[in-house]
This record gives sequence, structure tokens and C-alpha cells, in this order.
Amino acid sequence: MRNSRILGVGHHLPDRVVTNADLQEYMDTSDEWVQQRTGIRERRYSDGWTGAADMGAIAAHEAMDRAGLPARDLDCIIFATLSPDVDMPSSACLLQDRLGIGGIPAFDVRNQCSGFLYSLAVADTFVKTGLYDRVLIVGSEVHSTGIDLSTRGREVAVIFGDGAGAVVVGPEADPRRGVLSTHLHAEGKFAEKLWLECATSRARPRLTEDMIIGDEARIFPKMEGRYVFRHAVTRFPEVIREALDANGCTTADLALLIPHQANLRISQMVAAGLELPDEKVFNNIQRYGNTTAGSIPIALYEALGEGRIRDGDLVCLAAFGAGFTWASALLRW
Amino acid sequence: MGSRIIGLGHELPAALERAGVIRPIAVEAVGVSTLAARASAGALAQAQLAADAVDFIVFATMTPDVTFPGAACYLQDQLGCRTVGALDVRAQCAGFIYGLTVADRFIRAGVYHHVLVAGGEVHSAGLDYSEKGVHIARLFGDGAGVVVLGPADGERGVRSAVLHADGQHHRSFWCEYPASRQHPTRMTLADFLSGRHFPAIDLDAMRRFGAETLPAVITEAVHAAAVSMDRVDHFIIGHVLPDVVDSAARQLGIASARLTNPSARYGHLTAAALPVALSEDVASGALAAGATVCLAAAGAGFAWGAAVVTL
Repeated sequence: MRNSRILGVGHHLPDRVVTNADLQEYMDTSDEWVQQRTGIRERRYSDGWTGAADMGAIAAHEAMDRAGLPARDLDCIIFATLSPDVDMPSSACLLQDRLGIGGIPAFDVRNQCSGFLYSLAVADTFVKTGLYDRVLIVGSEVHSTGIDLSTRGREVAVIFGDGAGAVVVGPEADPRRGVLSTHLHAEGKFAEKLWLECATSRARPRLTEDMIIGDEARIFPKMEGRYVFRHAVTRFPEVIREALDANGCTTADLALLIPHQANLRISQMVAAGLELPDEKVFNNIQRYGNTTAGSIPIALYEALGEGRIRDGDLVCLAAFGAGFTWASALLRW
Repeated sequence: MGSRIIGLGHELPAALERAGVIRPIAVEAVGVSTLAARASAGALAQAQLAADAVDFIVFATMTPDVTFPGAACYLQDQLGCRTVGALDVRAQCAGFIYGLTVADRFIRAGVYHHVLVAGGEVHSAGLDYSEKGVHIARLFGDGAGVVVLGPADGERGVRSAVLHADGQHHRSFWCEYPASRQHPTRMTLADFLSGRHFPAIDLDAMRRFGAETLPAVITEAVHAAAVSMDRVDHFIIGHVLPDVVDSAARQLGIASARLTNPSARYGHLTAAALPVALSEDVASGALAAGATVCLAAAGAGFAWGAAVVTL
């Protein structure tokens, strides 16, 4: 069975920079408060009628350019997001419309911060088993339209930013290269430690006026921050070690760890626990905040641009987030 | 190495009169994962598998319990699985075929042995039962169906699965709000009052689309499985309009005894339609081990697909 590998990476970040000081216009916060807790200095917000698929299309074009592939050569589209353009159908379908490549399969993966790695695992099996040759994966989020920017929502709102990343996955004949393994996990008993309740098909009807407006609005994400933090710093190292062990590797073999950009303090604690020096861990959350499904491909794009990944390097991608879900992938570049 | 269905289960809530028709309707507080958990109990029992032997969960739905996380995470918790992966797939009416394909490929690649695939919907929570929307609301029902896939060699198993989409028609059957693309807020009171958080369907467009794609995708899946149409024992075909399924079957020369038309039975269950109907047909004895069945669906997105499985 052949391997899969990443043929090209692209990204898109909206132009509008929102600093921590800018957030003071909406909420009671400060640069010091945000940086101390998250390491975030600024994030990007999109505007107009920009949705996840609009940003995803720009990232996808860049990834296809880097892969040297026109859109018509794609066999499948997988779109990871928790902030779809519309409620239904999938953002994958809207992206397909923008790329003008009707006919090929297109679907969304809804796995929050682990969405990109769940998608990569699916694409990997599609390519490995010969179902498809070229799979486009997009991770894209427009968080800025879904967060509570008042003081009440600040603990969550300051963390998130808008952004998109994309990769094209294709076949790799050498079994020692490309995606070596993927590892997916979830623990649904903690679903409501980081969640967005409404619309909810548990209620009749699933959406009401009371859910949308007022002090009891339930249309914004909610998080028990300390709870999430504690699980993240356990699950990240665990799933990174799982990937290394599965391939007979150790942390010493790693050229670069790209963690999902959840919180700089989490990444730092994970790196320290694994005894990885700073130069072996990629972080850009300071500039973009948490872009959920977008964060890993955006970080991968920047790491490649900075020359931090070379041919033959062992790279680990890892994520933890809402669900709880967590995941890793080990790649030989 | 391929995959094979080793367990099937379904859950249809009590039939109630709604919008002038009798439909399976889930009661208040019952979300889609609860329906799927009930369906899973039957599927796991049939597979003689404990929940902790499940290696991966795939959930296809367009009506998740909450906006995030996905219904698969909730299902995993209710089943008491290990901390295995729990994937939510959105491919609307074709969601089950997409989910089945993903599960089949994980098993073929040797990543997992036992994958639980759920298709579930609680449409009744999101329909417009007012005069304005009742002609759409009456088309849908609630339910969940589950298959457990395990590794297989030989004739029995998933023999083909073909997937398609064409997003240029996404407005023909969609639910626009909440819409994260709307700045600065994805859902306002005005959006709510406009009723654009209810599904809107261009029935003529869906009729044309179904008539065009269903015969083609069924033919494609049957060819991909290297069987002939007359070697397929039964067809289960999902579409929001039951008469579109009947005419696709007629066009392909499928007699009514070889056809299950889920939306005629339950109203349209979208991602749940195919696994509910398959599970029900096996439970009733209409389909037995060794039967070759073609599952096909076409709907919102547009997304469509078909699979041929030998039970």
C-alpha cells in the first residue's frame, strides 16, 4: 500500500489586524491580561460577506499552485470547520462552487481544533487505498462573527481569530516518507467543557429568540478554561508520544513539532514536558490567535516559508480541543 | 482486505401527526446522538461486539445535538467507548454513503478493525410548521440508523462506493442561518424573524437533479462493484421526493419488490434514511445474509453517492 504525502500548502489571513488594545473597544480587557493567559498579541478578523469557504478558496489556490496542480486535477475536497458559511450544506460545497470543479466529492469534517488532523487521516486512507489520487484539505474559520465580544464573553473571545490553511495530499511511493501514521481520539464526556450549544436539535424548536439575544443567549461558545488547559497539557504529550512510538522514533528524532495553536502557555508546557527546545516547536498564535481548524496548515505554511522544515525531516502535527478531541500525525517530509 | 457490515440497528421514534402527515418524531430533549445510541445498542449486539471494542465512530448528520462539538462525541460518551476517534461528517442527504466510504477506507488501510457508522437526524426540531413552511416540513421525519463494519475478505462486504458533489447548486436545498459568513454577527434577531434558519428547498430543482443523478450513480456503483444490475438483489434509494425514487427505479428496470423507498415510509430522514431502511429490511427478513444491496442517495449540496454491499 502506497503512502500519502503533502504536495503543497497554502494559507489566507484577513488583512484586518485586531490587537489586544483594539479589543478594549468592545470589552473590559488589557494587553497584559490577554498575553499573560494566552500569549496572544493580535489576531485577524475578516469582514464584508467573507465566509470560511471564501478564505478557504484563496488558501486552496495557493496550495494547488505550490503543488503544481490545477483545480481540475483534484479528486476530492475535505473541509474542516466549526464556523461554516451557512448552516447547511457544507462549506466544502460552497468551496467547490468557488473552485468551479463540480462532480468530485466534497464534504465537511466537524471536529473543531482536531478537524484538520481528522481530515488528514481520512485523506491519507483515501490515497493509501487508491480511492483518490489528489485530495484537497481546507481548514478555515470565521470566528469573529460567532463570539461574544462583550466583557461577559471575553475569556473565549480574546482567544479566537479568523484564518484559513489548505494542503493538497497525493501519493508517495516511498513507504518511509510522507504521512507515516495518524492517531485520532475523542472523549465525549467532556463535550460541554468547550462548546457552542445553539442551534441545538435537542430543543424544540432548535433555535429561539431567547437563544439569540439577551443575557441568557446561548449562541456563543463557552469554555471552562482551566479544565481545557489541564486536559490539553496531558493529551498533547500523550498523542505525540503515541505517534513517535508507533514509528519507533523518539523526541530526539523530531525536527519540528507543530501543535494546534490553542494557547501559547499550553504549547510551552507541552514542549517543556517533552524536553523539546524552542527551535523544535512552531508557534505563531501570538499573531493570529486560535484559528481552530485553520491553525495547523497556517503554521505549516509559515514553517516551510521560514525554512524550518527540510527534505527528510521528521515532523509531528498534534491537536487538542473541543469534543474533547485530540490527534496527531507523524510525517517524514 | 475490505470491510463488511457485521451489525445493523435503527431507532425510529413514535409516529405522530405533524403537518397533516404521520411521521416518526423525536420527543423534546432527545437529540440525534440519543437516537443513534439506541440504534447502536442493536447494531453492537448483532455484531457481538462490546462498545469498548469499537475502534472509531463516524457520524453523518445535518441536525447535530449542538453546534459543536459533533454528535459523534456525544454518541461515544453514551456508548461508553474508549477514547477512540469520533468523526462528524456533513454531506447532507448523501452523508451516510460518505460516512460508509470513510469507515470502509480506514478498515481497508488497516488503521481500524471495527468502525461504527451512524446516520441520524432530528429534523422536527428545525422545521417551519407554520402555513408558510408546512409543505416543506411535511416531507421530513426523525430517526437514526447504525452499521458496525468489521474486516472482511471475499464476496461479502462493501463492494463499491462512489461519491459526488456539485456545490454550484447549494442554494437549491439549504438552511442559510446561522451563517458565519455574515458580519459582524452570524445570527441576528432579524435573521431569525425572517425564517431563514429553516430549510428552503427548490423542489423542481431537486426533482430534476434526482432524476438525472440517481440512475447514473446507481449504474456507476454497480459497475464499480463488478456486478450486473440483475445480480443486485435490492435497491434502497433516498431522495426528498418519493416519486423521484420511483421513477429512477422504473428507468433502471427495478421492480417494486426489489426497491425500498425510505422517504415514502418515514418522510425524508436524509443521512439516516439508508441505514434505517437497511436495518429495518434486515430485521423484517426482507433481506438476508448474502443479499447484495445497492444503497443510493442524492440531495442537498448537491451531494450524491451510491454503494453496493453484500450482507
